[in-house]
Amino acid sequence: MTDNQLKDAPLAKEGYVNYIQRLITKVSMMGWGTLCALAPNPAWGFSYGEQSGANEACLACHGDAKEVPRFAFVDHQLFGQTTHARIGCVACHGEVSEKHPDGGQVPRAECSDCHVEVAGEYAKGLHAAKTGCNGCHNPHLVQSPKELSGQEINQICSGCHNALEMTATHGQWLPQSELHLRMLPCITCHTGARNYFISMYIVKSSDDSRFGRQVVAGYSELKQLAGGREVVSLIDANADDYVSVEELRLFNRTQKSLRLHGMMTPATASHKFEILDNRRNCTFCHTSGPGVMQTSFIAVPEKDGSFKRVPVEKGAVLDALYVAPDFYMMGSTKNQALNNIGLAIICCGLVMPVGHGFVRFLTRKNRKRKEH
Amino acid sequence: MSEKKRIYLQPMPVRIWHWINALGIITLIVTGAQIRFPESVAVFQSYRSAIEVHNVAGVIVSVSFSFWFFYYKMVRNTLDKLYMPDEEDLKHGLLRQLLYYCFWYFLGRPSPYHATPEQKFNPMQKSAYLAVMFVLMPLVGLTGILLLNVTPLRVLILMWGGIKVIVALHFLLACSLIAFLCTHVYLATLGNYIKPMLIGWEDVEEHEEQQAGVAATTPAYRPVRHYPEYAKMQQEQRQG
Repeated sequence: MTDNQLKDAPLAKEGYVNYIQRLITKVSMMGWGTLCALAPNPAWGFSYGEQSGANEACLACHGDAKEVPRFAFVDHQLFGQTTHARIGCVACHGEVSEKHPDGGQVPRAECSDCHVEVAGEYAKGLHAAKTGCNGCHNPHLVQSPKELSGQEINQICSGCHNALEMTATHGQWLPQSELHLRMLPCITCHTGARNYFISMYIVKSSDDSRFGRQVVAGYSELKQLAGGREVVSLIDANADDYVSVEELRLFNRTQKSLRLHGMMTPATASHKFEILDNRRNCTFCHTSGPGVMQTSFIAVPEKDGSFKRVPVEKGAVLDALYVAPDFYMMGSTKNQALNNIGLAIICCGLVMPVGHGFVRFLTRKNRKRKEH
Repeated sequence: MSEKKRIYLQPMPVRIWHWINALGIITLIVTGAQIRFPESVAVFQSYRSAIEVHNVAGVIVSVSFSFWFFYYKMVRNTLDKLYMPDEEDLKHGLLRQLLYYCFWYFLGRPSPYHATPEQKFNPMQKSAYLAVMFVLMPLVGLTGILLLNVTPLRVLILMWGGIKVIVALHFLLACSLIAFLCTHVYLATLGNYIKPMLIGWEDVEEHEEQQAGVAATTPAYRPVRHYPEYAKMQQEQRQG
């Protein structure tokens, strides 16, 4: 029964026919999968129906840049860390012809087939009219927001939005726009979220000095600095997957070329991109107060190119000086101990007017007598 | 015997500088409070306005400070003499002035010090202004300039130990300036300081000894018992 015939069939029969078709498809896919797994020639695995070990079989050619055109190349290692690698190549490229590669079009699944909610959200946003999912995400490289450092989120946006142009456009109303754009993920302002946290990541001076241009530190260089141990051991000295205030102080004191940058990041990433008027009001972030500043994570690079989130002690970024010396948000990250010292200094200044003024009032007759 | 004499204590550029500074610093304190405590201080309707006014006032006060330095150092060439306490100030002047403020003033005794255009400040004023004008003001201005240009001056901020260090310094120095301001305004009410800062001139009583040239040879901070007013007062008491 062809698709056209199915469309013409009475509605009552449609569900039953679809069920039969799915069953046949699944059985045939399983059959092909078994055959492919047993096949002696690994190159044969590209063909339709491959399921068991399908990724390896496809990547035998598609993982080699010399074998396939550039658009069809898939980086073996980077693809391996994506969620898509777990469901396998055939989940999206299901109906590859038996004669592949024969120059014919390889079918592609729609992202919305699985990501229904995200697609619905995205359709309501500003980007929907501009580009599709793969305008921002390469399905063979895509990572969840938890596996990205804050700066990498912005790299996705900079594919279309030129950094200099954006700085100039935002600078029309946003003070220190370059600083804001460098120290905030775009999605903090351009998507809605119920809650926020502080995402920190390790940056390294490009020339190994303390004052060089700072770039996100990679896994291999950090591993080298850690003396071959796990990268996280640079900060998490007692290896308990939790970074305390003391550990952060120690890191900032001992590591000269490494520093921690922090970004106020939405707790859940929405795909509805919009221009939110309340973000033009500085108090949205700058009066967010110590509540938002309580939760923070450090994004530590992993061997596979992703990042691991390590939780940090509550309220660490609110420390006065050396726990997060490069993270400061006016109005939000004020330290209570410093406020108290400031108040004490002002009170010292009031000793003279209040104390002296009081005795001056009591002894006013002495001065009047002398004048007479 | 004594007669009234007018002396020109505060030249016009100094008075302009002083009142620009006063207005600027009060603006900086109010906007600074809103910037640090936006949840409790809301003088300006928007946070952005508070930041912009703070930045403009900061630049005006910094430029005004530079003019002050240039005027006293280069034009009048009296910066060191006016603001640097000398040996006599450190040995006796400071203690004498302190005793005057803490005891003698309450007993109705005259001040051990009278301002002249060449010696405008008493030893305590000199020491306080030395700290304020040569330490507090330049540091608060420098940290403010760093915070105003975080991206271009990133290396300098790193050299100071990070943005948190700069912010903490800026805040604590500003609190110290507020403390100074309270004392400064109060002490201005203790002597004839406000009128000369408004019109430039001050009416002082000139004594016969001063007219005869005694004052010219007497140190400005001589003990109060040597001061003509005090001697006259004691004489009156004895007669009374």
